[in-house]
Amino acid sequence: MSTKVLIVDDEVEFASTLAERLALRNYDVKAVYHAEDAITTAQSDPPDVVLLDLRMPGIGGFEVLKTIKKIDPTIEVILLTGQPKTEVTGEEIPTGLFDYIMKPVDMGELIVKINNANEKRNLSKHS
Amino acid sequence: MEYDELITSQLSFIGKVLSVFSHEINNHLAILKESVGLIGDLIELGKTSSRKDLKEILKITQSIKNQIEQTTYFCDKLNGFGHGMEEPLSAFNIHKSIEELMVLLRRSINQKMICLEKDFTANMPLIYSNPLKIQFLIFCLVEKHLKRLDKNSRIIIKTVYSNDSIGITIIPKGNLIETDEEVICNDEIYKHIIKQLGGSISQKTADETTIMLPVSLFSSSNRS
Repeated sequence: MSTKVLIVDDEVEFASTLAERLALRNYDVKAVYHAEDAITTAQSDPPDVVLLDLRMPGIGGFEVLKTIKKIDPTIEVILLTGQPKTEVTGEEIPTGLFDYIMKPVDMGELIVKINNANEKRNLSKHS
Repeated sequence: MEYDELITSQLSFIGKVLSVFSHEINNHLAILKESVGLIGDLIELGKTSSRKDLKEILKITQSIKNQIEQTTYFCDKLNGFGHGMEEPLSAFNIHKSIEELMVLLRRSINQKMICLEKDFTANMPLIYSNPLKIQFLIFCLVEKHLKRLDKNSRIIIKTVYSNDSIGITIIPKGNLIETDEEVICNDEIYKHIIKQLGGSISQKTADETTIMLPVSLFSSSNRS
């Protein structure tokens, strides 16, 4: 079964193009452009891995991360950020974040992170 | 007022503009990288000989062109902002100057789900003044409202021209929220800057603030 990936980013063009590229690599991908839609999707059709933009209008990335983890703690979240990791870590990071990836995204690096996150989710689900 | 306080506020303003700018450019680059990557994927992983894929590639190249145009427009605004700092006084179009600020701060304002709108009067003459200080002043007033307004609110920047003076009014529209967030500049800073610009600042209602500026700032005593 293919890994279910949910992309959450208010940059519609970025999210939809990334979704198309991951779909070509046989991932089961859905892209949403509002934080509220990410929460609804996590409840109705839980993904294995969420690629989550840090800065979005209204509810920010960290708030979405906390809510998703409350819905299902086994869903793994990878943060998409334009900031270097050192700057992001300066903020108050909620627990449960699997990893970060910098924008512009390196596809090879992203694939490795998604697969590792999915592996962790599978282990958590079966333990 | 403390000289350091003023410099710190102005540097914070420039820093904010630069960080929003670099974030925006980075987003455009991320989209460009994905678009180019998708073309590569279609060639490598798809069936590029099909008419459907060729149409898809044409669609992506159009999207790349749009992204480049948007990035160029954005860079142009930063370029104008940078040129505004070169000379203490210059003749410029106040609307162009306000628009620069609006474009450069758009992302941070959108993130608060607040809409920044303009209501510019027609036939505005050129102003001889300091564009950076005017932008800084408008930024301070907009920022003050940004901290206090609830989401889905609006901030309108309105301009008028009368008696050789230009009026810039900042009008917030929406619900207020309680906040203890710090603002970059305080009332002392407004007064100091407006004095340097040879103008005045007034508050007509509880929220509406108007800056009046002379069209021409000649007096050397007003120069910073």
